Amino acid sequence: MRNRFDKQLDTLHTSLIHMGALCEDIIANAAKALLDGDELFCQKAVVIEDEINLLERDIEQMCVRLLLHEQPVARDLRRITAAQKMITDMERIGDQGLDIAELSKFMLGSPVKSDIHIADMARATIKMVTDSIDSFVHSDLEEAIAVIAYDDVVDDLFDKIKKELVDQILKDNRMAGDCLDLLMIAKYFERIGDHAQNIAEWVHYSLTGSRDADLSGISP
Amino acid sequence: MKRRLFLSSAILAAFAVILTSILVTGAVHQIFQTSMKREVAAEATYLCAGFEEYGADYLNRLHLKHDHRITIIDPQGVVQFDSKGKPETMENHRDRPEVQNAWQSGSGEASRVSATLREETYYYAILMQDGSVFRLASSTQSLLAAYDDLFWLVVLIVLFGCGLAALLSMLFTRTIVKPLHRIDLDAPEKNASYEEIAPLLSRIQHQKHQISLQRQELDHQRLQFAALTEHMNEGLIVLDREGTVLSCNKSALRLLSIHLSSTVGLHMLSLHRGQRFRDALQQAMQGESAADVLELDGRYCQCFISPVREEETVLGIMVILMDVTERQEREKLRREFTANVSHELKTPLTAISGYAELMMNGVARPEDVPEFSHSIYEESQRLIALVRDLMFLSRLEEGLAPPRERVNLLTLSQRVAAALDSKAKRVSVSVSVTGEALEVDGISSVLQEMLYNLLDNAIQYNRPGGSATISLRQEGEDVLLQVSDTGIGIPKTEQSRIFERFYRVDKSHNRTIEGTGLGLAIVKHGAALHHAQLELQSDAHGTCFTLRFFGAESSNTTI
Repeated sequence: MRNRFDKQLDTLHTSLIHMGALCEDIIANAAKALLDGDELFCQKAVVIEDEINLLERDIEQMCVRLLLHEQPVARDLRRITAAQKMITDMERIGDQGLDIAELSKFMLGSPVKSDIHIADMARATIKMVTDSIDSFVHSDLEEAIAVIAYDDVVDDLFDKIKKELVDQILKDNRMAGDCLDLLMIAKYFERIGDHAQNIAEWVHYSLTGSRDADLSGISP
Repeated sequence: MKRRLFLSSAILAAFAVILTSILVTGAVHQIFQTSMKREVAAEATYLCAGFEEYGADYLNRLHLKHDHRITIIDPQGVVQFDSKGKPETMENHRDRPEVQNAWQSGSGEASRVSATLREETYYYAILMQDGSVFRLASSTQSLLAAYDDLFWLVVLIVLFGCGLAALLSMLFTRTIVKPLHRIDLDAPEKNASYEEIAPLLSRIQHQKHQISLQRQELDHQRLQFAALTEHMNEGLIVLDREGTVLSCNKSALRLLSIHLSSTVGLHMLSLHRGQRFRDALQQAMQGESAADVLELDGRYCQCFISPVREEETVLGIMVILMDVTERQEREKLRREFTANVSHELKTPLTAISGYAELMMNGVARPEDVPEFSHSIYEESQRLIALVRDLMFLSRLEEGLAPPRERVNLLTLSQRVAAALDSKAKRVSVSVSVTGEALEVDGISSVLQEMLYNLLDNAIQYNRPGGSATISLRQEGEDVLLQVSDTGIGIPKTEQSRIFERFYRVDKSHNRTIEGTGLGLAIVKHGAALHHAQLELQSDAHGTCFTLRFFGAESSNTTI
């Protein structure tokens, strides 16, 4: 017979999946707002961000209640503390996703986008977020480690985009404003990648008890 | 059981001890009293005799026991002598019953209980010759006092009895319960135990039997259900009302690309968490069916989510997933085809209508009229060819096969080459037909149309001064027909699509190259109708289509 505590832990797990799915949604919408230049996606992102914030508060309370009432130990304790940290990262992903969507409004129809590898960066970041949530959902240690290693790809892409933007500005400085906006967007993507990496690290922590993953032999 | 047994036996023991003590004490007291009375009466007779013989001195010399007392009462009732106390202070004893009786019948007796109720005094009186009365009194404990003394003893015995009762009841319970404990509930009927519980055991046996039957039936049903669902092409997931997976078949896991061995007990969101799916699931949890098409890793998946309801409450949720990628793609092709057909039909019609309008309004100069009518003629020819091809293609697709006959491919090829000769000369391409006179089973008109289209393409997409060749040869049982050219070739990426209707490698809808865009589609369907294999080899130096007709003899010999 499953007791109440197990049931509550399951509810916590499901809520986290829900929050992770919302993060995927918001970043997908932000990327569409940027690449397709449609304001509709921007509005959707605003709605999702609100939802993420509400859910963060709910999960926070749930965690505190569980810690106080059930006084969990060992694995359960790790799961709950990891959840507490993860929702902070997820909430930041939500914020930065919204920031990207809002910056995209200023870039509607700007031709700069097509010359820069920003679409690749968006795809890489979405993959990272999706994989980090997947590793959480399936308690998959290998996938978590792969996500942690993949962060280098996103970082490299950011450096590449930065160089491309510098070249672009040197070539044609009429687009300099758009280029700066794009640089900020790229930075937000890079930050989202970092948060996804954090999530993967917390998954690693809740499974093994240590945040430091052994990355030797993993090529992103 | 132990408790109840202990209580009843303890009460029984206490009751027995108390009752026995009361009755025994009473009876013993009675016996004691009687013997005491007899002794007192005998003593009184001896003493009386002694007193009458020796006078008062005798009495004074006697050493009486402390509970004995001698009193002499004269006929007036005045006490003359008392062994304890002074006779002067004593009241008149005339009214005492024992004295009265002695006067009347020579002897009398009486018992009186003292004021404290603890002592009982027995008096025996004898009438002496001088008329005075000799009385002997003996004090004994009363019955009550006896009880009083015995009280603690009785309590002690009762306590002891209770202890004994506890011990015995424990022992009894153990011996009674032991066989019950030893009953093997897996085979209740085989136990030789108390016959009192035999009906209970047979009842248990019966119910056990029923339970095992029902379980077998349930197992059977579950297996049947599992076998059915496991081999379904559609994914089937059963959820409880909170969305926890109760069962999930292999197809569902395959469609959702999940590689877990067991998903039972996980939440549905662990399997798929897309926004549209979440919304649909939410809707189902509130009691409304939902359906949507999900995109999963480039594949399309139709999902139906329906709640299982009993009245208003949702008991569970059924999720059915179907791979509709092919359907979606067919749908896309169909839409493209419709758009293409409309476009292909509209272009010549617009031209015809435009020229006709110019002439109708008299805008056209008379010297332009022949040119316009030529264009109108060309465009209508194009329309006719298009409609003819479309009809031909739809006939092929419907599989309306005219009777088959032996067709000589060589003569057919030569006929087609002759028909296209003028066109070939126009673009300076040399056409040749080589090979043996081979025959296949087929439909002459379809084969001719196929060959015409292949050769037409070979001429059309050629370089000036190039060549187009139809060659025939036998390879084992099979007949091979090759149409090769030295043309511009077909890029690798396009090769898979050229058999689609209206598909052109050159997407500019270039009017300088004629043709309906249906030629290769006709070749493909025609080949299928003849069960022939169609191969394509192409590079920058030319293209070669190979039609392999499988030998009729081989099909005969395999029977």
